[in-house]
Amino acid sequence: MNSVLASRRTAVLLVGPALLVYTAITLVPIAWSFGYTFFSGGLIQGFTFSGLKNFQQFLTDPNAWNAIAFTLRYAVIVSVGQVVIGYLLALLYIFFLRRASGLVRTVVFFPVVLPTVAVSLLFQRMFQLTPQPGPVNALVHVFGGQGVDFLGHADSAFWVLIVMDIWRSMGFYAVLLFAGLVDIPDELIESARLDGAGGWSLVRRIVLPLSVPVLLSSIIFSINGTLKVFDSVVALTNGGPGNATTPLTLYMFQTAFAYGDYGYGSTIALMLTILCLIVTVFIFRGSRRDLTKG
Amino acid sequence: MTAVTDEFERAASMKRTSLDSVRAASRFLRRLPMNIVIVLLLVIEIYPLVWIFLGSFKTQSEFLNDPFWTLPSKWDVSNYISAFTTGNLGQYILNSVLTVFPALFLTLALGVAAAFALEILVWKGRGTILLLFLAGVMVPGQMVLLPLFSIYFNLQLTGTLWPLIITYTASGLPLTVFMIATYFRAVPRELFEAATLDGATLLRQFWSIGVPIVRNAIFTVGLVQFFFLWNDLLIALTFTSSENLRTIQVGLLNFTGQYGAIQYGPLFAAICVSIFGTLVLYLFLNQRVMKGLAAGSVKG
Amino acid sequence: MTTAHRRLRRLAVIGSVITASALVLTACSGGGSTAASGGSFTMLALQNNTTPNDTLAALSSSTCQAADKAAPLKKDADAQTQHDQKLQLLAGQNALPNIFVGPGTPDLAKQFISGNKLVDITAELQKEGLQDQILPVAQSTIQKLYGKSDSYALPNELNIEGIWYNKKIFSDNGIALPGTWDELTADAAALLAKGIQPFAGDGKDGWPITRYVGAYIFRSLGPDALEKVAQGKAKLTDPEYVKAANEVAKLGKAGAFGAGVASTDYNGGLNQFLTGKAAMDYMGSWALANFNDPKQNTVGADNIGFMPFPAVSGGKGSIDQTPANVGQPIMMSKSKFGSGSAAWLKCIAQDYGNVALDKYGVVTGFKITKQPGNVPPLTKVVQDQINSSTSSVLWFEALFNAKATTVSQSDGGSLGNGSLSGSDFMQQLQTALGQ
Repeated sequence: MNSVLASRRTAVLLVGPALLVYTAITLVPIAWSFGYTFFSGGLIQGFTFSGLKNFQQFLTDPNAWNAIAFTLRYAVIVSVGQVVIGYLLALLYIFFLRRASGLVRTVVFFPVVLPTVAVSLLFQRMFQLTPQPGPVNALVHVFGGQGVDFLGHADSAFWVLIVMDIWRSMGFYAVLLFAGLVDIPDELIESARLDGAGGWSLVRRIVLPLSVPVLLSSIIFSINGTLKVFDSVVALTNGGPGNATTPLTLYMFQTAFAYGDYGYGSTIALMLTILCLIVTVFIFRGSRRDLTKG
Repeated sequence: MTAVTDEFERAASMKRTSLDSVRAASRFLRRLPMNIVIVLLLVIEIYPLVWIFLGSFKTQSEFLNDPFWTLPSKWDVSNYISAFTTGNLGQYILNSVLTVFPALFLTLALGVAAAFALEILVWKGRGTILLLFLAGVMVPGQMVLLPLFSIYFNLQLTGTLWPLIITYTASGLPLTVFMIATYFRAVPRELFEAATLDGATLLRQFWSIGVPIVRNAIFTVGLVQFFFLWNDLLIALTFTSSENLRTIQVGLLNFTGQYGAIQYGPLFAAICVSIFGTLVLYLFLNQRVMKGLAAGSVKG
Repeated sequence: MTTAHRRLRRLAVIGSVITASALVLTACSGGGSTAASGGSFTMLALQNNTTPNDTLAALSSSTCQAADKAAPLKKDADAQTQHDQKLQLLAGQNALPNIFVGPGTPDLAKQFISGNKLVDITAELQKEGLQDQILPVAQSTIQKLYGKSDSYALPNELNIEGIWYNKKIFSDNGIALPGTWDELTADAAALLAKGIQPFAGDGKDGWPITRYVGAYIFRSLGPDALEKVAQGKAKLTDPEYVKAANEVAKLGKAGAFGAGVASTDYNGGLNQFLTGKAAMDYMGSWALANFNDPKQNTVGADNIGFMPFPAVSGGKGSIDQTPANVGQPIMMSKSKFGSGSAAWLKCIAQDYGNVALDKYGVVTGFKITKQPGNVPPLTKVVQDQINSSTSSVLWFEALFNAKATTVSQSDGGSLGNGSLSGSDFMQQLQTALGQ
């Protein structure tokens, strides 16, 4: 069996180009970036060897810890939000809408394909206070409040960002979890109903435990993305006000391209990569244990 | 899902009595809160688009002085025109097209070939290389930006669109390779072994058997990659150094009128063009897109 | 075998056709910038200030016609928030344009100077005998900024800063012109009580708010107060400095800059003042172009008055030390400086001031050889103020490094709506200065 499909020449020919591009544009830069972390400076000033100074700086830099705190807070809240709301929507599709769910699924999904920049600009206008109150502030007025400068204060800006990203991606997780729920054998549900289970207890006792695998893989996928958030933040607040909504990705970008410090910027990128790996491994291990416990 | 529905139909038909009207009424009331939820859901999905669309026809003074819910007084398209002329939207769209499509073609071409070699062919080291590609999905883009910038600068490519095309190609490779490899895994090996016995070279088999079999997957993966690349901001922001190189996303970010002021009308018009363009594509292919994106993550 | 080869060849042909056409297309669309560097004179300006580009365009059809023929003018502009970044990248590639608006951070310009990227304007003008075309006030401001006796920049703007006020709002509400900071804050409180926004506020760019902090520091601690910080002899976290930030934060918390200050951008702030929504605006005289435009200014140019930033009682500075700057002055790239650029430099030195004043009402640091007859009254006010100021002081972020400048500007909005305290503001700045 082996010999028939074994042809080193063909393999090299087919894999070669892709591997070449990938190595040159991804693997080599990763190693190079790692090398940068031991230097300081940039393209204009040149590079000088600085050993572990960048890492020391990272550990004592309040902005770096700010960024990490924000990244984690954002990642957890948005991931949980996306998956929970997606799950609720999936339940809605399966148990309430059933056949009619196709249309609603399509409508709820489409923000996923919209360009992030366009969505962020849209939300900026929707939450604006000056020059004219946007729809959200108008709603605030209706309920008797004064207009709020949503993007001008750290806390409210954070929540606008959260709302926007959940609005944008809940349709995706709804479809994802819907596909997982559909796989649940109908006999189980039927027999549970005949036993008298209905509504919430049905969900809690039968559906939820059976959807744990797909929920876990959704959370992993979600965290992987939310830890690396960049587009929505840049377009909505550009890290502001101040650096209140600056995740590690943006902090790295600013350090390298606005302050011209490639060495420190690479260090931040490395820390971000390590963070992603740690979190993913952590959740992965946690999920393995759950699945074996059964 | 259909079995559940059938079960309900059966149960319902068994209970068809004169109590039905009362039942129907109480069912309506019971379902009312959920129906309200659905309506609310549709509203929060669709209203922003409607609002942006209406706004794209308003004039600057209407934005500055009239409340947001007033309808535009005229339906003229001058905002759209000025978005394309002063706002340079046409150039941005062109740049997006010129970078995304070549990159997409290259990613698919190289990726499918690599996936075939990694999955179907047997040779030493293929497992490691597959893992290498997988690692690429994990690493954030920030790790590669700075060295890439130096590389392109040293190759004197920085005033062109080449950095974007090359980087986009490379960024799409890991996911493409991985997803197509997964599809290839489902193809029975006997197909290829038989072809070899018939005298076909492996290269020929790739082209005449392998590619057509995963044709569907190629289309789906291509679609998914298209959306990733079209909506990309990080790479575009880094490698577009002047205004005439910007893609749509970077252009929207810096969309200012003649005096650097925000001209709301053209801005809304530009957002509309950007949104409705992708929307139209999505409406035509929505099933594929949903399945493709979902498949990509579940298998990952 | 042969059919496989043929198929492969076909694929290769298709692929190379696509790639070749992509090449051609990208060369046509993206190569515009590289091809232009041939014999042309490229100007990179800012999107929110069209005067430099417009003035050069006007010159290209009048005094600079010959220079334009030899090296045609090409205009480009980018956003202020990305300008410094872009210049850094271009400088690193030795690809700075022939002429460009300088970086917002003087620190970066100093790096350019020490990296030998800029043309020594003073030396070049001396070769042509035109060194007197630059006003002494402008020359000294540039010297203060960059710390070099020769000027590496052209003073295409000479701006003074102060508080512009709406005469009608003041008289209608019985507000007197303040002479001290305390009187100013009392006036602001009185206006707030009547529901009028005292100050226009651009918190998005930040620096319009931090101008108040800087001016207060100069008034209370003397004109060299920020130079001491730059040299490390004082810290922004020292109590006298923190007081300045706290005073502004107090105003911000009271809502003196308007509720939406953190999201209001430059044009939004100007709009507030010019449509009568705000009573006062700390602004530099570069905004005269907007003040003199009847389409933007609906309160009337004769309704606007100017008062210097008030004194701080018991302070070491005085009210006639006018905050002045040369904006983001125009600089020229040394690597691209040839006969074409030299010809342009000559005619710019001779006529830029006249054209800018005549056509756009902008006061420059160039000597005026033809005073236009129709100078708007506000411009006359500025010219008079320039002539009567004994010395100038710079602005808050003038001597900061890039990081501190960014922090100051991005935190300005939070200072202006009171969500950031003065001491936290200064703390963040001092940390950024330290790095």
